[in-house]
Amino acid sequence: MASVDLALATISFKRKIAYKTTWLFSVLFGGWSLLAGLAVWSTLIGDGELGGYDWQAMKAYLIIGFLTSTLAWAGSDWEMANRILDGLVAIDLTKPVDFQRARAGEYIGGMVASLPAAALGTAAAVLAFRPAGPDSALAAVLTAVSVLFIFPLAFGINYLSVLNCFVTQRYLGIQWARDTMLAFFSGMMVPLALMPVWLQGVAWALPFVHFTTTPASIYLGRVDTAGALGLLAAQAAWSVGLWVVGRLIWSQLVKKVTVHGG
Amino acid sequence: MPILEARSLTKTFRRPDKASGFKGAVKHLVQRKYKNYTAVDGIDLSIEPGESVAYVGPNGAGKSTTVKLLTGILRPSEGTVRVMGRDPHTERIANAHDIGVLFGQRTQLWWDLPVEESLKLLKHMYGVSDADYQARIAKFDELLDLGEFMPALARTLSLGQRMRADLACALIHAPKMVYLDEPTIGLDISVKDRLRAFLRELVDDGTTLLLTSHDLADIEEVCERIVVIDKGAIAYDGPIQQLKAHYITTKAVHLILEGPADVPALAGKFPDYEWAAGESPSEVVVTYESNRFTTAEVLGGLTSQLAPRDLSLSEPSIEDVIRRLYAGELTK
Repeated sequence: MASVDLALATISFKRKIAYKTTWLFSVLFGGWSLLAGLAVWSTLIGDGELGGYDWQAMKAYLIIGFLTSTLAWAGSDWEMANRILDGLVAIDLTKPVDFQRARAGEYIGGMVASLPAAALGTAAAVLAFRPAGPDSALAAVLTAVSVLFIFPLAFGINYLSVLNCFVTQRYLGIQWARDTMLAFFSGMMVPLALMPVWLQGVAWALPFVHFTTTPASIYLGRVDTAGALGLLAAQAAWSVGLWVVGRLIWSQLVKKVTVHGG
Repeated sequence: MPILEARSLTKTFRRPDKASGFKGAVKHLVQRKYKNYTAVDGIDLSIEPGESVAYVGPNGAGKSTTVKLLTGILRPSEGTVRVMGRDPHTERIANAHDIGVLFGQRTQLWWDLPVEESLKLLKHMYGVSDADYQARIAKFDELLDLGEFMPALARTLSLGQRMRADLACALIHAPKMVYLDEPTIGLDISVKDRLRAFLRELVDDGTTLLLTSHDLADIEEVCERIVVIDKGAIAYDGPIQQLKAHYITTKAVHLILEGPADVPALAGKFPDYEWAAGESPSEVVVTYESNRFTTAEVLGGLTSQLAPRDLSLSEPSIEDVIRRLYAGELTK
């Protein structure tokens, strides 16, 4: 990572941890969601299994969901959006840095700030609930790689949704739509295995699935090694694809940037 | 060779054409109409290296839009801009290395971090060496008292401190061309004075400056050339002194007489001058054309015949001239 990217990521990290109460609240809220999910699925599964998940596997799935959702929603998409809506993007355009790379540095820096909370929460949940372990040592390593892909994927999706602000001049609706799609098609809300087959097909055609279903499937051995590598390749392809699409859209939008007022 | 050259620079925006009220809002939802609005209309502008140019005009005249076109933020609808030979929009990153920009109404500080962090990040962005960074920070501290609030969070700064910090951010990489859009807006007199002194020093060091401001003291103290823009087009472009010499053709003497001033009688007695009542009953204001009469001759005549208790001289300010330019009373 070049020094400017690192400097932007560091600044974003520092800004995120500057608001300690907000940070603490997000950890507590994430923890509460995990506990609620565990209670609901414990009742639903009982001693049996649902969609191929027994209680041990479901606990692992929910904890991976907690980890991935904490990371996925840790970036500063609202800040990016507000800079466009308030016209502060004018300042960004006077800086000698690539706009998309700079936003990526800031966004990923913000995500990194949530890593301690995500790691602590995950470790606490593992110790408290003793979920199923990884299918193999290799599965554990590939799961970790898969979780790392959440960084570029989250940036790509959030950046594309934020770019809409240049056209819509509003962000709230876009954010709601994106977050709903993410929660649903990633499998954070309900595992994909419990959805109709056609809906699973739709989910696998979208990038959201790689936030929770992909790392959880690799961890629990629901795909073999070749399948796991294929999923990682899909994550990499989506990361690159979203980056390229972001570039193409920006190259058109920058011609139409409008910043009124002094 | 000019450092900045704009030819037929035009920017047109599309604005929603929406009737007021609920009906208008619903109608616009189903039948969208837009109107084109030309903010900058065919501007030709050429700035030589080291020049300090004031770019002034009434609200909505197109000043800030021009600055955004010249800095590469906006893409011109028509016309061309070259800054140091580059198109600032298509070669934005290369251009950004050589320019400094301050928008008085928008901060470039990271709001929730100390000022020092913002400056260090900009150091990285512009690739400023450690030695240059330290030297410039020391200079900013000397001229702008930056040190006192370097560790403070940007959101805790007063407006004057924020503007000084923003100025340091705009200049940390020693840009060749600097655009300052309303740098003294909302500041108190002492901070304004300090900023103006700093800008004069900047100009003396050879930096090219384009300054927009509604505060004409900024302009008179910092700039040599003035470009007046109105309704997106240039109404005047030339040296400030020339503008004053060309348009300031009258002077005034304020006389305090021993008793109440009889203005009509005085006007009858001195028909070559214009007479008006002053702020008190004994005060009278005599306006004369400075190209017809010398001040000595006017004062000699008035003092010998009226024996005033006190007197003072005044001439119209550049502000009066510009106000008349805006109002269309004066032409190029």
